[in-house]
Amino acid sequence: MILPAVIIVAGLVALVLILGLGNGHGRSGGNLDELAALLRPIDVEAFRNLIDEREQEYLRARLPLKEFRSIHRERMLAAVEYVRCAAQNAAILTQLGEAARQNSDPAVSVAAEKLVNNALRLRLYAFQAVPRLYLSMLLPDTSLAPHFIAEAYDTMSRQVVMLGCLRHPPQGMPAAL
Amino acid sequence: MGASEAARISASGARFLCCRGFEQRSMNLLRAFQTSGLGSCPQSQIKSFAGSMRGTNIPIGMLFLRYYLWIAPHLFLGMVVAGFLRRGLQKQLPIFSTYMVFALVNFFTLFGVSLVMPLNSYRWVLLWGMAVSSLLQFAVIYELASELILSRSSLAVPLRNLLRGVSAVLLLVAAGFSGAFSSISVQRVVNVLQVVDFASSVVRCGLLIILFVFTRALQISWRSRSAGIALGFGILASIELAGVGLRGAFGKSGYITVDLVQMAGFHVCVLIWLVYLFLPERNPAFTGRGLPESELALWDQELQRMVQR
Repeated sequence: MILPAVIIVAGLVALVLILGLGNGHGRSGGNLDELAALLRPIDVEAFRNLIDEREQEYLRARLPLKEFRSIHRERMLAAVEYVRCAAQNAAILTQLGEAARQNSDPAVSVAAEKLVNNALRLRLYAFQAVPRLYLSMLLPDTSLAPHFIAEAYDTMSRQVVMLGCLRHPPQGMPAAL
Repeated sequence: MGASEAARISASGARFLCCRGFEQRSMNLLRAFQTSGLGSCPQSQIKSFAGSMRGTNIPIGMLFLRYYLWIAPHLFLGMVVAGFLRRGLQKQLPIFSTYMVFALVNFFTLFGVSLVMPLNSYRWVLLWGMAVSSLLQFAVIYELASELILSRSSLAVPLRNLLRGVSAVLLLVAAGFSGAFSSISVQRVVNVLQVVDFASSVVRCGLLIILFVFTRALQISWRSRSAGIALGFGILASIELAGVGLRGAFGKSGYITVDLVQMAGFHVCVLIWLVYLFLPERNPAFTGRGLPESELALWDQELQRMVQR
């Protein structure tokens, strides 16, 4: 009796999940200005500094172990915030890029496609990076810093600039980037 | 409708009751035959079963419901196929089109086989139809995932790896649980049907949930028609999964009810496809200018970073 009950519950949970997740697909869209306003500024150099292994080594050499661990934890928590912020920006840029892909100008749609791809790549990176940063917080000796996030964010920023340049020549990119 | 006519319909209805194209309905049919102590000749089986059905005095409303849930979804599916062909959508979604055509062919084949061939032949046709149908459904899920990847090259590797990994895990889970169905009946074909049904439902459910979660997490959208197809399949797979459990929980007494629930699930699935087929394909509706004007200094600064690299 237990196994059928488990299967019934699994089926019902799956049904609820599918209805919940499937509802609203294909209804994306929205106000682009509002979306762009949601972009949050990120200092990529500061993020690079936070995950720089040489910086970490420097702190380890100069600080007592207990203090180093505490500071390292703070630094990794800050890095997690940066990554989350970058992932949020990437999600917004995905939508902005999807909108720009509908543009009749092939140059704009190609640039938008590149932006979407990089924004998605960054978001995938972010999903991997957050657990790595938390792990690094617990095990400071391991080298788990996600350097690729900073590179991906830079690439994405450049593509936003390129897209902004193509769409509105006298204008530019969101200040948040 | 006379009593004999009703009995005839009851007999054939019981036989075809749950024929949705990839049917578990043979389960209740087989058990009904087993419990009524039938001979090996299909005709005598039908007659004996007709007798037992007459004895149970099925209300005409229930009889109508059974026939409706058996036939109507296939009529609607025929409309979806016609709509697909008229709009040339078979080029966009060839595997899904093939699946629908197969479901219709399977439905008519089973109907014909059940009228003229021995019951055992019918069971094997049913089993093979179900196996092919399950494979086609997996192929449709792959097709839907490919559509996501097509215009987003960055998703190709992670999505493929994710689907492979999830499929492997789900297959292991399904194989583990399937052991519990190995002795549900003395007849091998029934056991195989049950296992195929369960395993296929588990894997389809899992893959569709993963696809939905993936698209939601990355905030990307399917075209609305593909989302409708995925939604329909998802509802069908989850109801079929729950049905396997319900059949196990309630035993013989619940077979007909469970099959009705599953047929209703297929009906809902086909209606969703029909609605999404006739809804206009919507691109995401955006308003506003998008990337706002920025300060010239930031614009220059970012350009300089580009040049430096």
